[in-house]
Formats: sequence, structure tokens, C-alpha cells
Amino acid sequence: MAGGNEVNLNECKRIVPLNTWVLISNFKLAYTLLRRPDGSFNRDLAEFLDRKVPANSFPVDGVFSFDHVHTSTNLLTRIYLPAPLDPSRHGAVDLTEPLSTTDVVPVLVFFHGGSFTHSSANSAIYDTFCRRLVSICGVVVVSVDYRRSPEHRYPCAYDDGWNALKWVKSRIWLQSGKHSQVYVYLAGDSSGGNIAHNVAVRAASEGVKVLGNILLHPMFGGLERTQSEKRLDGKYFVTVQDRDWYWRAYLPEGEDRDHPACNPFGPRGQSLEGVNFPKSLVVVAGLDLVQDWQLAYVDGLKKSGHHVNLLYLKQATIGFYFLPNNDHFHCLMDELTKFVHSIDEDSQTKSSPILLTPLQHDEV
Amino acid sequence: MKREHSHRETSSVKVDSSSMTANKEEAGGFDELLVVLGYKVRSSDMADVAHKLEQLEMVLDDGISHLSDDTVHYNPSDLSGWVDSLLFDLNPTCDQVKPDQDSEYELSAIPGSAAYPPGKRTRTGSDSPTTTTTTRSMVVLDSQETGVRLVHALLACAEAVQQNNLKLADVLVKHVGLLASSQAGAMRKVATYFAEGLARRIYRIYPHDDVGLSSFSDTLQIHFYESCPYLKFAHFTANQAILESFATAEKVHVIDLGLNQGLQWPALIQALALRPGGPPDFRLTGIGSSLTGQSIQEVGWKLGQLANAVGVNFEFKSIVLNSLSDLKPEMLEIRTGSESIAVNSVFELHRLLAHPGSIDNILFTIKSIKPDIITVVEQEADHNGSVFLDRFTESLHYYSSLFDSLEGPPSQDRVMSELYLGRQILNLVACEGEDRVERHETLVQWRNRFSMGGFKPVNIGSYAYKQASMLLALYAGADGYKVEEHEGCLLLGWQTRPLIATSAWRLNRVG
Repeated sequence: MAGGNEVNLNECKRIVPLNTWVLISNFKLAYTLLRRPDGSFNRDLAEFLDRKVPANSFPVDGVFSFDHVHTSTNLLTRIYLPAPLDPSRHGAVDLTEPLSTTDVVPVLVFFHGGSFTHSSANSAIYDTFCRRLVSICGVVVVSVDYRRSPEHRYPCAYDDGWNALKWVKSRIWLQSGKHSQVYVYLAGDSSGGNIAHNVAVRAASEGVKVLGNILLHPMFGGLERTQSEKRLDGKYFVTVQDRDWYWRAYLPEGEDRDHPACNPFGPRGQSLEGVNFPKSLVVVAGLDLVQDWQLAYVDGLKKSGHHVNLLYLKQATIGFYFLPNNDHFHCLMDELTKFVHSIDEDSQTKSSPILLTPLQHDEV
Repeated sequence: MKREHSHRETSSVKVDSSSMTANKEEAGGFDELLVVLGYKVRSSDMADVAHKLEQLEMVLDDGISHLSDDTVHYNPSDLSGWVDSLLFDLNPTCDQVKPDQDSEYELSAIPGSAAYPPGKRTRTGSDSPTTTTTTRSMVVLDSQETGVRLVHALLACAEAVQQNNLKLADVLVKHVGLLASSQAGAMRKVATYFAEGLARRIYRIYPHDDVGLSSFSDTLQIHFYESCPYLKFAHFTANQAILESFATAEKVHVIDLGLNQGLQWPALIQALALRPGGPPDFRLTGIGSSLTGQSIQEVGWKLGQLANAVGVNFEFKSIVLNSLSDLKPEMLEIRTGSESIAVNSVFELHRLLAHPGSIDNILFTIKSIKPDIITVVEQEADHNGSVFLDRFTESLHYYSSLFDSLEGPPSQDRVMSELYLGRQILNLVACEGEDRVERHETLVQWRNRFSMGGFKPVNIGSYAYKQASMLLALYAGADGYKVEEHEGCLLLGWQTRPLIATSAWRLNRVG
């Protein structure tokens, strides 16, 4: 055992910067402590260990934030906006005016990851990421909390996501453009990506307009063990065993991984053909063992006739976007920026599906 | 272009031109990218921490999930310390932890928790004073979106007051009154108090000095204690830290810097009574202000009755002062060498900031009696800035959250609690100079003050956190209360807004 693991750990440490490795290994260790073999979860310790940060209505590096709590659910939503140009308005929050009456300002409804179980909108890793999205990609971000497993299983997270979308759509202060609309993109990493997909399906069926989906190594799976799962098991922070645990915690008791929530284009999945589904940007980390499922998802979307951009980051591990100290981070931000700003309000042009890979820097 | 390799000590090679923080190290040597994510790891320790994480991973396969239920965790931000303590817990015979002056200080278990190794609870690593940007954490609740106009009106009035444009302020304060009357619930009540504060400031009808109404404010505090969990949390978390500090000491002495009705002590007395191995001799010194001298004795007597009933030897002394600043070490009659000492302060210290030098006096007195632990609970807010408008805005948001948490079916407790808090608002808004005693400061500010004053933190850990969460679930009912851990301290807040903070300290014996 020791020999094999040592090789794996060293390989992993070579691929990512040291501080990234420390960060993600810390999570891996902490999460292992929290998951119990019987399927229960040490929620108290999880909340104790989670590093949280408050919102700040004073701008920091050009971005300010404030919280909204839905009193019926006690679920947090944190809103991130670019700082007002007028310094005298710093520290205050105006909920009476739209974002703009001339320009279109994309609003990203962001569902944080954590395999349906971990983290919150006010977790430091997600707060920091959302701030960077605002300052780098020129968007407004609405980061949404959802009820987590194992305490709350499917379909709670999707219901909460759907309610959040409706709430966002109805805020005057998130409207922009000449037609006073809220221009929404759904986004999420890991389980958040899965939620974004499912909320988009619901939105399509209920006639709520979503301009695009951004899925950052989304969490999908299936009964079958794919090549990438076998090849990468335990090698880059993630194990098949922990993926299984999280699916058991999220899916209804007694269900297996071919449940459509886990495997949307699998044997029990519903077809999206003819559905008014938004265009998608799917980001896959080349060292993520879930990638075969993510690529199958991309495939499934294409076969249903939907536009999808795949950003395949060959040497990226999960969580590469938590620290801006690598090329993948910048590549992601570039693609994301292009994706949300490629729509013109009047001409409604869409981007065509292309496979994007960054320059293979490590092969130079 | 080669990507950075893992053996580098610094955080990154490539400078991210579009990122908000340059990849430079902070003055304290902490990796800046990890700091914003909540972790303080010195760049020079990064490789060592990585190595220890690898060691822990080796053990992962052996099934360490039992660790989470038995182990008490402290200060997760100090990754190096956290990893060290996990390694120690897995391999107690190994000499992992550097011995420091606490090594004679074996802490034994309070009911339910595991014994923890020396040096674990105090870390000298991250004691450097932190500088932070100003934070204003705003929580908007569904009900408050319509109250935005009211908030704007209040702020406009406060600004007029700040600019000494009293004519305009007068007009605006009346406008606020009108808007407030059409609001409902917490927003209306808060606005009314803040408007009253502004009006008093404009017309120079200042609120009475609080001293003359001490017994009334004691009564109000009891209602506040009953109607919401803030005081209970304060007492509970401070008591946990005190209990852990007392460990197996045979004689213990608690000095309460503000006894009031002694609400904190029955629980501690009962916990001491249940201590494995039997209770210690318990001595309580209660400090109060001049006009409550009579009732302090009564409080002491009642506590004595309780102590007798549960078989704890009890001794009580009262000290009556005009100000805590007048407290001298000799008044406390310390029995050096034979008693374990705890100094406890719940919402007392901020009042001393109204008088220059007072806080230094009390800290000096505390230091000279060499307590084993000092527990401090304070409001988590920046209400002592030099600019009136800033104080006004901060406190408006603070008390909005606080009042919101009180909302519910009407009761006498609640009404009195609102009055209790309302008096704080009036003091904060209408008073100045030595009369303005509600000078709340943030945990970061208190941390700096204590660090500079020669104290070091005693971390409050996951056991206390869990117990506090359970307590909240029992008493608070509403889901909105949240406990957070922040670098060894515990904070209680409403929704995402922290409102009170408990920290613990001991003397920094080095130098």
C-alpha cells in the first residue's frame, strides 16, 4: 500500500502548486473525518471547520456584497456587485434601482459545490471565487445556498435552486438593459453544476428564460465504472468511494446511481430534444475521475441538439479555480467572460459548439 | 512556459495581473492566497504542513473516522497546528508537539471530551496583530426590502447631524417618524429608537446617566436573558472555557467584573459539583457599581444557597466600585499559589473605553493577579469609530439584526429586552465623551488590544462549539441563530451577521 500511495501523492504534488495542494488536501482530510461509514454526517464539526466570511458592503478590490435571507427557509443568498463609481455610495445598498437602464448586465446565479453536502455561500472559498467572478468577468453574482444532504435529499437542492431562480428573476434591482429584464446565467461547480443543469431543465419547462449554463466540473455519475474512474481513482484528491458516499447521501434511499439526478443521459434519463434548453459551457478538469460522466453529459446535450462549449483542461485537478495561481484559472475566466458577453440583446446571437483546449504549456 | 512546481516555498511564480491580490507574502509571512480562504499558513511552513498532510493520508486507509467523534478540534485556521494535533491524536507516544510553557498544564476532560495534549490549545504562531479592511456586513431580510426608504431617511438625518445642519436634521427626523409609523415589526422599533437618539442629539436632551437606574437595568437584563439566547450563549461559552481551565484544581476563584444578577454562575456551580473526582472549593468575587451594593450581597447569598444544595464549598466577596478602572489587585485578596483564577467579563470592558486610560488600568490589574484564564464576551461591532455617521450606520445595521432576532409572539420579556437594547441605542447615538459608554469594538480590535497588552489566546474548541449549537437548538427555537468559530473564538449571530463574540486569554509568559 505504502509504495503505491507514495507514487500517487508525489505525482499529484508535482501537478499543482504547493499551496493549492495543501488547501485541497486539507479539505480531503477534513471531509474524510466528517463522512461516517453508516452514511451519517458530522454536521456540527463540518460547520466548526468551515471557514466562513461575512459579506461586506464596503468594496474590496472593486467588489461589494450583501446577504439576503429568506425567512421562510433561513437559506442564505449572497449578492456580489461591482462597486459604485461614486465613493459616497460605498457601504450602502440600494434596492430600488436596476443595475443599468442601457447596458445588459449578466447575473450569474451560482450554486456552490461540496458534493451536495459541504460548504455554504458564505464559505471563504466560495465567497472569494464569486468576488473574482465579478471583478474579472464583469458579471453580478448571486450565490445561493440550498439544503444539503444527507439531512435533505433529492430533490431539495433542485427545489431550492428553482426558488432562487424565480426570486432572482423578480428582483427589480437585478434588472438591466433597455427592456428591464434580469439576464440570468446559471452556474455551479461540482454539485452546483448538477443543480444548475436541473434548474435549467425546470426553467425550460416552465418558460423561464435562462441565457446559459456554466458547469464547472459538474457532479454526475452512474452505476457503471468508467475508464476515468478506474484510471484516476485516489490519484488526485478524489476517490470513487467518496463519490459513492455522496451519491448515497443525496439520492433517495434505496436508489442507485442511474437515477436521473445522477445520470441525466443514462438509461433512466429524460430526453432534452426539442426542449428550449440554454447554451452550455462545460468545464472539465482532465485529472478529475468524474470526467467520463461529464463528457457523456456534453455528448448528451449535443445529441439533443443543444449548443455546448466544452473547455477541457487537461492538467487541471478539481478545485483548480480556488486559487488564481495557475493557467487553468485564467483560461476559465477568459472563456466564462466570452460566454456571458457573447449574447447581444437585440440580435440574440448564440455561439456555436466548439471544443476548446488551452495551449499545452507543460508540453513545451 | 513551465508551471510552478511543488517544491517552491513561495505561493506562486506567475503574478496574476488580473487578480485582486498580488502573490506577495504578507508581513507575517502567511501565504496570502490562503489567508483570504481562511487559512493562516506561513509560506515557510508550507512544505512541512504538506508533509504532515501526507503522513495523515497514509493513515486514512486505517479508518480514522472515529477521530471526528472523540477528538476536540481547535482553531482550524491554524492549519499547521490543526494537522499537528491530529497527528498527535493518532500517535500520542510520538514527540510531535513542541513543548512550551504550558507543558506543566495538563488539562483533563470535562464531561464527554477526550484529554488533549499540552500546548494544543494555545498557539503562539498566529498572534501577530491583524489589520483588516473595514467590514460592514449587511443582511437584508424579506421584510426589510420595503424599509429601505426608512433606512435612507435615517442615514440622511444622521448625516445632517454630523454636518451640524440642525435645521435640516430636525425636518428629517420628523420625516423618519412618519415613515417609521408605516413600517411593521423590528424595523419600526429600531427606527424609532434611532430616531429618538437623533432627536435627543439635535435638541440636546441627553439620556440620563445610567448609574442611577442600575437596578432597573438589572431587571431589564434578566428579561433580555430570558427572551433570547445571547446572554445564555455568553455565559455558556465562558463557563466552558473556565471549566477547562480549572481542570482538576482543588481551589478555584472566579472574579466576575460585572456580577449583575449572577445569572452566569448557577450553571458553573452545578458543573463543578458534577466534576469527576468531586468539586473544588469555589470562591466568587463579584464586582458591581455603587448603587447596587445591597443587591450584590443578596446575589451572593442566593448563589451560596445553591452551592450548598449541590455540595460545593462556596465563598463570596463583593467589591463595589464607581468604575472597573478603580479595581486594585489587593482588593481581590488573591491566595497566591493555592487557587486557580478566572477573570470573567461579559459586556463590561467596552464601557471603559469611554475614559482614557481605564482599559489599561484594568488590564494591568488583571495581569498582576496572574489569572489562569480570562474570559471576555463583547458585542461584535465597530461602534467606537471617531466619525458619528459611521457609528450610526454600523449600529443601525447591528441593532436591526438584533431586533429582528427577537421578533415573535409578544411577551413581557421581549418588550423589556427591546427596552434594554433601546437604552444602548440611545446612549450610542445621543451621548458623547465619558457619557457614551456603549463603545463596542470588534473581536479583531479586542484581539489586538489583548495581544498588545501581554496576553495570548486560549482557543475555544469544537466541543464548546457543539454544545453551544445544541443549547441554541434547545432554547432558541428559531433557526436563524448561527454559531461560528473564528481563530479560536466563538461568535453567535443572527443569520449571517455575528453579534457577540466570546474569547479567552491567558498571560503571555514569554518576555
